[in-house]
Amino acid sequence: MREPITRILRGSALALILLFFLFPILWILLMSFQTNADILRIPPRLGFTPTLSNYVALLSGKLATSSGTLDITFLRNLGNSLLLSVASVAASLVLGVPAAYAFARYRFRLGESIAFTLLSFRFAPPLLVLLPLSLYFQILGLTDTYGGLIWVYQLITLPLILWIVRGYFEDASPDIEHAYRVDGHSWWRTFTRIAVPLARPGIAAAGLLAFIFAWNNFVFALVLASADKQPVTVGALAFVTAAGIQYGQIAAAIVLSILPTLALALYAQRWLVEGLSLGAVKG
Amino acid sequence: MSDKARDLCKARVAGRISRREFGKRITALGIGAAAADGLLQASYTRAMAASFDWMKYKGTTVKLLLNKHPYADAMIADLDAFRALTGMDVKYDIFPEDVYFDKVTAALSSRSSQYDAFMTGAYQTWQYGPAGWLVDMNEYLHDAGKTAPDYDFEDMLPNLRASDSWSGVPGAPLGGTGAKQWAIPWGFELYSISYNRNIFDQLKITPPENLPDLIEKATKITKDAGGPYGVGVRGSRSWATIHPGFLSGYTNYGARDFTVADGKLKSAVDSAESKAFHELWVKMIQEAGPKNWATYTWYQVGQDLGAGASGMIYDADILGYFMNGAGNKEAGHIGYTPIAPNPEAKGPTSNIWIWSLALSNFSNAKDAAWYFIQWATSKQHDMFGARKKDLVDPVRASVWADKVFQDRIAGSYPGYLETYKATAPDAKIYFTPQPLFFNVTTEWAAALQRMVAKEVAVSEGLDQLAATINRELRDAGIG
Repeated sequence: MREPITRILRGSALALILLFFLFPILWILLMSFQTNADILRIPPRLGFTPTLSNYVALLSGKLATSSGTLDITFLRNLGNSLLLSVASVAASLVLGVPAAYAFARYRFRLGESIAFTLLSFRFAPPLLVLLPLSLYFQILGLTDTYGGLIWVYQLITLPLILWIVRGYFEDASPDIEHAYRVDGHSWWRTFTRIAVPLARPGIAAAGLLAFIFAWNNFVFALVLASADKQPVTVGALAFVTAAGIQYGQIAAAIVLSILPTLALALYAQRWLVEGLSLGAVKG
Repeated sequence: MSDKARDLCKARVAGRISRREFGKRITALGIGAAAADGLLQASYTRAMAASFDWMKYKGTTVKLLLNKHPYADAMIADLDAFRALTGMDVKYDIFPEDVYFDKVTAALSSRSSQYDAFMTGAYQTWQYGPAGWLVDMNEYLHDAGKTAPDYDFEDMLPNLRASDSWSGVPGAPLGGTGAKQWAIPWGFELYSISYNRNIFDQLKITPPENLPDLIEKATKITKDAGGPYGVGVRGSRSWATIHPGFLSGYTNYGARDFTVADGKLKSAVDSAESKAFHELWVKMIQEAGPKNWATYTWYQVGQDLGAGASGMIYDADILGYFMNGAGNKEAGHIGYTPIAPNPEAKGPTSNIWIWSLALSNFSNAKDAAWYFIQWATSKQHDMFGARKKDLVDPVRASVWADKVFQDRIAGSYPGYLETYKATAPDAKIYFTPQPLFFNVTTEWAAALQRMVAKEVAVSEGLDQLAATINRELRDAGIG
């Protein structure tokens, strides 16, 4: 008798929690199919005639406002976000995974200091480092270049990947690697064939987290690059104009901009869960 | 274009025939109004080119930093005229207003040569100018070799010209002795009442004439209009809360932000006039303001008016103008009226915001960039923006006097011109220029929030605010 009641209660609790957490996203999704007039209706209504005009405006690059038609570059912003995030995470994985392995497996002079210095990049308020950086960027000719931005994005992604993956390497027993080395394999082969596959869940989790952090970054591109290299986080503000706020387009922009992260999270879910549970049962 | 039409345009540009005469004769040639306007614009461009070597920097590219604003849209729409006139190219980066000044400050403070010219407000030049980041435009304005003879800087409204110039001495008057012209006015806004005519008609009330009257009518709207609240004003913890209707009303009650003696500033927010005004303003918000007033910025104030959620706003006239446009629920229902908040005052005393163009001191193409600024603030472009786009309010007296512009505004925005005419004579920047402008006004907004939330009594709150400001002034060596 108690079991069905428990199940119902648990189901209801889960539904409530889901509703609580998903309601803002659901509301934004609904807003993205409404006109500004529907969104600003007083009192708000759930019933409305859905429209695709917001998505059409984003995809066509033309936004009709009370003061005329504006050119919008949302798709370019989306492309910039994809390029910056993917390239930054890729660069951080190439640099960070071997570094994490080195920090986990070897003791060397100033090792901990270097690792902590890299972590400290996460502590520094971005605005504090941006002005000096923009001076250096001018000297180096990196201002307003994708390369320069990807380099600066390493401040976000590299420490994250390095420290998370380091933990996974430390958790994995070195005995398997030793055994593989005894069989005559090189250090590099041991690293790529044994260590990396064992830490793959951690690498996936760290990569995804780094991607989300990079995707959400706002200030680096704003200060260091021109309007044509801005990510969606800056681009979405284009719908807030002196002549009014285009809520419908903002909602559609949010829906489109969370799709890549959502797709990546769903794809990487298997490794994520595996990675999390691996950490959980480790004793 | 036929020779006759060309001759007619030339005669009009030279001022030999009136606009009415031109219209009559060009119509007789079978040319429609739109085509005639295009021909005339082209003639103006040719006339400009004939009187000055506009082609001096042909082939040069100027890079601009712009804020996403209808004024910038108007300029972008006319850029081909500049390209045709000068043979120069223009590239621009356009950023949303929310982040725009962060971008400008970052570019200037890092001494970047990336941008040659940019949009700014007068208050920002109080920081940028004395820091050495801007070029003093007087160098150009007084150089006949660099400024076209028909530029006519004097045609710009005098209070606007003065508001963009300052000596850099804290407390020294704008446009006073030794003032440097840090920026050139381009488009501006003043502060008056924009109201929902439907709501006023429904409640059978007339537009407010002063602050006590406004409070009474706004309270009635909140109580009787069946949903909308009385009056929208800004309330976020920002300088932007202080400079629009608030400072206009504050000034109208005879209050000033500072007193200046022997080159030292002293806060005057604790004066009797200030306290009298604050009492009324706080009461207005408590009784008839929006529920989330402390979060209100330009956007929320305008949006509520456009959506019919508020009865009126005491904010920028152009905000009321935009909310009367298509896409807003209340489009076509917005009325405009001037206000002198103090019943004893002779007339309105509006503070102003001026979108201006400034020249970066780190630009590698200063002279060419000046050509651009000169064109963008010329009569021809000002006229184009005012007649065909939303460059309201234009900065030139000759454009305000233009019949085509007046007819356009009078037709779609009834009351707008009359409100402007009543408000403009004493409209200027009423802040005392000093380098701590943003700190002081942010503190002021925070104090206002505490008073509205009844965390502190108005008189006590202002005494505390004055003490805080005076301490900051002393720390900065100017108080």
